[in-house]
Amino acid sequence: MVIETVHLSKQYGNLQALSDLNLSIDEGKVFGFIGPNGAGKSTTMLILSTLLEQTDGDAYVCGYNVRKDPVSVRQSLGYMPDFFGVYDNLTAVEYLEFYAGAFKIPAPKRRALVADLLELVNLSHKADAFVDSLSRGMQQRLGLARCLVHDPAVLILDEPASGLDPRARIELREIIKQLREMGKTILISSHILPELAELCDDIGVIEQGRLIACGSVHEVSNRDREMSIMQLRALHNQNTAALILSNHSSVSNLEEYMGGLRFYFTGSEQQKADLLQELIKAQVVVVYFGDSKANLEDVFLSITEGVGG
Amino acid sequence: MNSFFFNPILVKEMRERFRSKKTVCILAIYLLIMGGIPIGFLLMDPMKAAALGENRNLFLLSAGIHYAMVCFVAPALTAGAISGERERQTLQILLTTQLSTRTIILSKLITSLAFSCLLLVATMPLYSIVMLYGSVSPEQMAKLILFLAINVLFLGSLGLFCSTWIKRTSVSTITSYGIAFFFVVGTGLLFFFIGESLQQAYPELFPDDGVWKLSQLQMLAGINPVFVLFGILGESIAHSDQITFSPWLFFSCFYLSLTVIFVFWSAYLLKPIRRTWWSWKKRPVRVK
Repeated sequence: MVIETVHLSKQYGNLQALSDLNLSIDEGKVFGFIGPNGAGKSTTMLILSTLLEQTDGDAYVCGYNVRKDPVSVRQSLGYMPDFFGVYDNLTAVEYLEFYAGAFKIPAPKRRALVADLLELVNLSHKADAFVDSLSRGMQQRLGLARCLVHDPAVLILDEPASGLDPRARIELREIIKQLREMGKTILISSHILPELAELCDDIGVIEQGRLIACGSVHEVSNRDREMSIMQLRALHNQNTAALILSNHSSVSNLEEYMGGLRFYFTGSEQQKADLLQELIKAQVVVVYFGDSKANLEDVFLSITEGVGG
Repeated sequence: MNSFFFNPILVKEMRERFRSKKTVCILAIYLLIMGGIPIGFLLMDPMKAAALGENRNLFLLSAGIHYAMVCFVAPALTAGAISGERERQTLQILLTTQLSTRTIILSKLITSLAFSCLLLVATMPLYSIVMLYGSVSPEQMAKLILFLAINVLFLGSLGLFCSTWIKRTSVSTITSYGIAFFFVVGTGLLFFFIGESLQQAYPELFPDDGVWKLSQLQMLAGINPVFVLFGILGESIAHSDQITFSPWLFFSCFYLSLTVIFVFWSAYLLKPIRRTWWSWKKRPVRVK
């Protein structure tokens, strides 16, 4: 396990921010952390980044105990907080060289390293621009490059896409995909849940400091009730399809979605296949029938339903 | 040691500070005030300007203004060093690097001191005008420079401590001015109040103003910069002539010790996870 928490708890006065969190993330996995504001995501990330001391339990990064060996933990991870500032009067190159120096990378190696990092985050053309003059999206990408100066095995990204416009979000997502391909273990939190669905191998849903669901997106969405959120798109006879679905006993919450239909399906894989056959027999020209790609928000809402009391 | 002086924070801070227009403005305003007031003084009072080699007033005035400027500038330069990082949300990132909190604090202090020293050195040529009017020995000048340097060091570390201790730069700046005010004015007032109270309460114990010879009171006077400055300038302020030891040496040791305490305390406060010796608990150690 590259990241592991064992009965991790954190209390701020009377507020229990984190309660008995047990988390295991394998090497090379991208783990998405979902939860509303104040659920305990950032607290967990701060503890893992050695910036906050837990009240109870233990946390390990690359096998190092965050409390007992913070220096080794810092060398093993790159942390990007949800909000971070930049220094005035420093160029992008100088900014990255500063952090390379802070991680004790020898001076002769820094130039080449910084050039590579800027290329990775598509900022080579802004190498000599002052950091405070860069757009928010560029600063976020530079922040990601900053996390990588010491080539850490683990990246902890706290809502990296918050406040970014759609283009900047897509650019950032592509870089994170590249990092996943490079074998980095990534713990990422986001409010833009569909993005996590595309990026993550596993997700954890946290609410009021408790991990209430953990596993792959599919596992979590089918948890307990064998319920999945599905999408259907048809070239012709979509109204017929809507009629069939609305009368089907396993289908609920039917709605129009992005030119097709979206619905909750409670049942086995065989039952899904039977439903598809029924649709085809009714002359519905189906071009897509499967799990909804952008259903994480619904999964989150479904799982956390009633947790808040 | 060599690597310390080329550590990334020093390089970054120097770049940031000396690329800023604010730095040039501060230096210009400082020189304007430091040069303007003595020159104005001379223009207003040509009789004193005429008395070459005999007039000490200009020296006293320059030294007084210089000290006041140091008290004003030194805490302000460091009072935002750490709280500023916190406010612009760069501190957390800095604390996840391999730089120790002690390195961060010392680097911040050195860069602030470098600028304070630049201000100090830049104004030294103004003393050539002072020297023209005489009555100042080179020893006095050297002592004055050392006195100002120790004040810069102490007030800088005080500002840095407040900046680490208090989250907001504005509050940290006001607090450091408040504490500096206590040392500059408060210790002097305490000296007078305590001395006078004791004298009036126990006149039989302290005949002939003997209360001012009490070692505790003398030490209180020894940590008051105004008393020490007057001593260096060869002037006496009420009862300061009764001090039986060298206040200058005591002053230096006292404030250098406080500087060291502030630096180490700041480094401790800056640690994201602080440990006290009683907080260690036995925990199972995981084998890597």
